[in-house]
Amino acid sequence: MILYALRDIVQRYNGRTVLDIDHLTIETGRIHALLGANGAGKSTLLRVLAFLEEPARGTVFFSGAPVEYSPTRQLALRRRVVLIDQHPIMFSTTVAKNIEFGLTIRKIDQETRRRTIDQALAMVGLSRYRQTRAHELSGGETQRLALARGLALAPEVLLCDEPTASVDAENQVIIADLLRRINAELGTTIVFTSHDRIQAATLAHHTLVLAGGRLIDTGADNVFACMALPQPDGSLLYRLAGNLDIRVNDGQRPPPGPATSGHIAIDPWQIDLQWPASACGDGPGKPLAGTVTAILAEGGHIRVEINIGVLLVVRLRGDVYRLLLPAVGESMLVRPAAAGCSFHPS
Amino acid sequence: MSFFVDSFIAAGRLVWALDPELLTIVQVSMTVSCLATVLAALTGIPAGFAIAQGRFAGKRIVITLLNTLLALPTVVIGLFVYVFISRRGIFGPLDLLYTQKAMVIGQFILILPLIMALTIAAVSRVDERYRTTALTLGANGWQTGLVVLREARFAIVAAVISAFGRVISEIGISMMLGGNIKGFTRTMTTAMALEYDKGSFTLAVALGLVLMAISLGVNVLFNLVQGRSGR
Repeated sequence: MILYALRDIVQRYNGRTVLDIDHLTIETGRIHALLGANGAGKSTLLRVLAFLEEPARGTVFFSGAPVEYSPTRQLALRRRVVLIDQHPIMFSTTVAKNIEFGLTIRKIDQETRRRTIDQALAMVGLSRYRQTRAHELSGGETQRLALARGLALAPEVLLCDEPTASVDAENQVIIADLLRRINAELGTTIVFTSHDRIQAATLAHHTLVLAGGRLIDTGADNVFACMALPQPDGSLLYRLAGNLDIRVNDGQRPPPGPATSGHIAIDPWQIDLQWPASACGDGPGKPLAGTVTAILAEGGHIRVEINIGVLLVVRLRGDVYRLLLPAVGESMLVRPAAAGCSFHPS
Repeated sequence: MSFFVDSFIAAGRLVWALDPELLTIVQVSMTVSCLATVLAALTGIPAGFAIAQGRFAGKRIVITLLNTLLALPTVVIGLFVYVFISRRGIFGPLDLLYTQKAMVIGQFILILPLIMALTIAAVSRVDERYRTTALTLGANGWQTGLVVLREARFAIVAAVISAFGRVISEIGISMMLGGNIKGFTRTMTTAMALEYDKGSFTLAVALGLVLMAISLGVNVLFNLVQGRSGR
């Protein structure tokens, strides 16, 4: 079921467009990862999804109905969604009172409040800090308290801005696990932003990629800023940061045009992975050499990460993986298929 | 030098013996200044908060104006209020001149800009995330405002304390609008000025001691509040 549907959403700050999304849907009860570099518009999108700001243009549909931005309608919608900041701020009072805030303004009776606070603290493992002043907690504990403060309100949607970016490794695992449990046990829809592609791949059911305020290609891992340079021989050369060239040739001669800047999205399923010894010269495009940095089981398939100057994700079916048997640290060749490369001018 | 020491000892005795005249003077001072501070806090805090949170044209001008008013001399305010409440003034029929009420009005005008300016500064310093956090947790506009005000509470209390410190020690307004009438409008500062003029230092020094004790008390309170806010 579709919970959010965004149509032609544009958000501007001081005349500068920070978000420009033609179409985006978020499904009920799923975990969605929102990937993108700093300034890609991730936090702005979260604020729109949290009904904290009205987009300059376009319509947000929530539970099938278009969102009206009147104070009373917004308040009713805000009470169904909680946004957790990257650096959550705690009210200068106790841990329990922080959680109680949202419950009190919803006029929930004292006994239910007490019980809810206990449950929320138990879920995030902070029960022993009930009467501690919230400002005395560590970064990771604060992030968990923010989760508990949100959870206590039983929201339909939990929006987390970089939930693990500023916490230690131990808390990263705890928080990722918590998000998974919240989704599985309570059925809460979760949208989180991240820089970490591996976290997104392991935690989320869906991955959305934002670049320059635009949605690139849902599900694509390999999104890189580049220049597209049409070549005289009909191939297309994508020049990435650090003068890394990816040349693709789909056999059709594109009209020679000027160089354009934008983003290339390479479908991880449409990248040919080879050992250098078995590489054959035929096939479109020029192979790129890289070092295998990680191999992960991801659902029913295998995710191979190769450093070719940028981190390229290649997805392999199990049978292909067993035939090829790539190994971490080894040098291999990759050849993106032209059909798997899409260019988005900026 | 011995004259000074003698005055000091005599003053100490006056304070120790709870001299009735001394007590009346202290009581007038405290009543007028406390009332002025409470009234200024009740109006200045909401007004400062509204200015800090509001988005309107001329906000910077209002803030600049308030900051300018902080440096207003007490005698100017005394003169200004006098024009309105003297017999020929528009509020003349209310018979306010040389009453405690007139002193409260003057002192209120003196510290209102101070409380407003310090409240604006305190509220502006509150992290924007408090507002968005309150909103996302389901607060309406009023509840969000209260959250912000609550986070600024220590700085606002400090503002009120410093405003009290300003009125308890001022003399211009008390003298011009109160008239230094014994038993009615004679405050610690006006009494000290009078005793000094008379060359009688005992009561002046005794009042000075009390004033300093009050100032010390206010400052200790101020530091306690600041200490809590810094935690």
